[in-house]
This record gives sequence, C-alpha cells and structure tokens, in this order.
Amino acid sequence: MKKPTIKTWRRALQIGVALAFILIPILNHFRISYFTGNFLSFYAAGLPLADPLAVLQITLKNYYLSVDLFIGAGIALGLAMILGTAFCSWICPFGLLSELTHEIVQRILPRRYKGLTTQINGFRLKIIIFFLGLTGFLIFSTTPVLNQLSLPAWYSRIFQFYFEQKHVSFAIVMIFIILLVELAAHKRLWCLYICPQAVLLVFAKLINPARLKVGFEDEKCLCNKGRDPCLQACSLSLDPKQLSHILETECNNCGDCIVACKKMGKALQFQFKSSK
Amino acid sequence: MIRPRFLRPPGARPEKEFLARCLQCGQCAQVCIFDCIRMRTGFNPFVSGTPEIDPRKAACHLCMRCSAICPSNALEDVPIEESRMGYAKLDTKQCYTWKGFIICRSCFERCPLKGTAMILERGMYPAITDVCVGCGVCEHVCPERAIVTIPTRFAG
Repeated sequence: MKKPTIKTWRRALQIGVALAFILIPILNHFRISYFTGNFLSFYAAGLPLADPLAVLQITLKNYYLSVDLFIGAGIALGLAMILGTAFCSWICPFGLLSELTHEIVQRILPRRYKGLTTQINGFRLKIIIFFLGLTGFLIFSTTPVLNQLSLPAWYSRIFQFYFEQKHVSFAIVMIFIILLVELAAHKRLWCLYICPQAVLLVFAKLINPARLKVGFEDEKCLCNKGRDPCLQACSLSLDPKQLSHILETECNNCGDCIVACKKMGKALQFQFKSSK
Repeated sequence: MIRPRFLRPPGARPEKEFLARCLQCGQCAQVCIFDCIRMRTGFNPFVSGTPEIDPRKAACHLCMRCSAICPSNALEDVPIEESRMGYAKLDTKQCYTWKGFIICRSCFERCPLKGTAMILERGMYPAITDVCVGCGVCEHVCPERAIVTIPTRFAG
C-alpha cells in the first residue's frame, strides 16, 4: 500500500471537520452537548475555542473579555504563531469547497490557469475590508458585522439552522454563488482577497519568524528552468521557489507543493527555521 | 404585520449591549432542552444568528443552561428572579377563570415562579405580579390566549 501523502492527511482532516460540523447539530438535537457552537465560538468538551476576529470585535466594543474567549482566541492565535495559517488549508470547510472547485476546474479545463501567477498582494484588500468592517462596527453598528463575512461560520450555521429548527437556510445558495464566481472569475477568490478572518491569523504568524513554513533548498531542485510542478500544485498559485515576503504572508502551509516535489528531488520541506 | 414580537433568552443584557456582545455562535440554542431558543434566520447582518424565543411556539422554562454556556456573557448567569426577559399581561376579559366559565389555572400551575410572580387572587383568579420575568410559559399554555408576554429588551 502506498504511504499516505501530506495531502491525504490534509483532505482527511478537512473532510473530518466538515462532517463534524454536520454531526454536532444532530447530536445537540438529541441532547448530547459535549460539543457545541460553530466556527465563531466552540466548546470541545469544555475546552473553549473562538474566532479571534469575533473576539477582537466584541472586546473593542465592550472593553470586556471573558476568560473563555481569551483562552479560545489565544489557542487559535497561538496555533497560528506556531503553524502559520494552517487553519485555512487544514480545517476551514469553505477552503475545502473552494479547493475542490478549483480541482474540478483543473480537471475539465487544464489550460485555464496556465500563466496565471499571482504576484498580486491580496492581503492588502483583506486588511482594507478588515479595518473598514472594524471601524464600521465600532462607530455605526451594534452587531459585530464582520462575523457575517465568515464563510466557515455560515457553513456551520446552515446545519445549525437545519437540524435544530428545521429551517433550510438560503446561505447554501450564497455559498454556491461564491463558488461559481470563483469558478468563473479567479481561483480561490474569497480566500485570497476577501476573507477578513485570516487577517489576525496572518498577523499572529508574522510575529514568529521561526514558525512552520515551506523551505526551499536550491541545490536539491532537479527541475529544469521553466518547469515548476510545485507552482502548478499550489492552489493559491504562489511560487515556492521564490519565498519573498508576500508569498510568506499568503502561504497557508497546505503542503501541496511538497507533495509535488517529492518525486523531483525533495527540495521543498516543512521546516521551523527562519528563512533569513 | 409589524415586526414579530420576540423575547431574548433569560439573562440577556439590554438589547444594544446584548447585540454588541453576542457572538452569534448559537450555543444557547444548542443547549436549550426545551427547544425554545431559535437562532434568527435570514441575512440581516445586524440580527442574523442571534437567539430569540417565540413563547407561542415554545416557551422558556428558566432552566438557565443558555446563560451558563454563553461564552461572551451576552446572557448573564443571574438567578432566575433577575432574568428580565419581559413581563406578562393577563387579559381578564378573556381568561376562563375570570370570565367564570371554568377553573382553569393552567398558567398558575406551570409558572416557574409560582406563588410570587403568579398568584391566585382570592384563592381562585390568576394574577401576575411585578416579580414576573416574562419567560412566556403562561402565554404558551393558556388555552384562550389571554396572556401576552411583552419583551423589555429595549428598556434600560
């Protein structure tokens, strides 16, 4: 039997999480509540977890932070400091849907994305949305409105609505429309340019220069000039061979490039070293 | 029809503060053993995902599981006498007992604060006092719909 690759493990975890958030509302419906909540705030058998952005919003608005939310957001940010934005590529169910959409497009139209290398810094737009939403909330609104931009939260909310109050949410259609737009316009559009939830995770990971990242060893690379399977494998179309500052902000540590590089000299590896 | 009249779960802070604190995680609805708390549906970014109770469909019995789990303290864990959801109003013209048909007492028997919030005037006629926290059980059980629960979300 073939040894499972990093990608197999990643897909297994992603699908597991996606299924878990379908299962949790069903269990809650039958009064089994060891696990409750959605992607905004979650209790795993007493262990609190929370979306750092949601916590930041209500903390700034109320000048108050409960212990559970502090621990919950702290765990999320701490993991981001060690593992980078691995949440986006290893856990987030919308990331899974978006990647699958991208893979389907690649199967049907393999030439579609040829020559499309993103050197555009999508993180800037995310920061703009982040600060607009935050100031908008602090000045005009009473509700943390940026929570509504969290697609994993909407994903889990669809099942909360369905299994607990038998309400079929229109959010299913909304997620489908976003996926269709991604399919037509730009691959991984939401994850690259919009998702404001990732901003705090990126800030957290930039604090720690010795976090987990993809390292490239020039002398091991067997590819000829112009052939780069690692770039082809990256669903965000980043080039792992030139790890500039921008790419390090965007890279989600999914490990697809490492899998692609395995047959080509193993020049790419996960490592905790600082790249300087 | 005007905006539907609904209650916030017990222990909820005044509306503005509540909305500023609510994370919209839906855990109050998930732990509610009476299935009375429902997450608000729709895409209105200001209220979507926040909990509400419609006592006509299912009423809160003040078990306070929701306020115990709330991670952001939008629902405060207070004693049930201070859980300030609203207050109930009894229309004596509609009530079976007050009209003199039959001795009903449905509301009195179900009230979680029986004896203080709901009393029997002259040992017979149900009456609601100032202690009422507005859980809505009486509205839910009233066969004649003589009781209406009025939320005090916006007060204070």
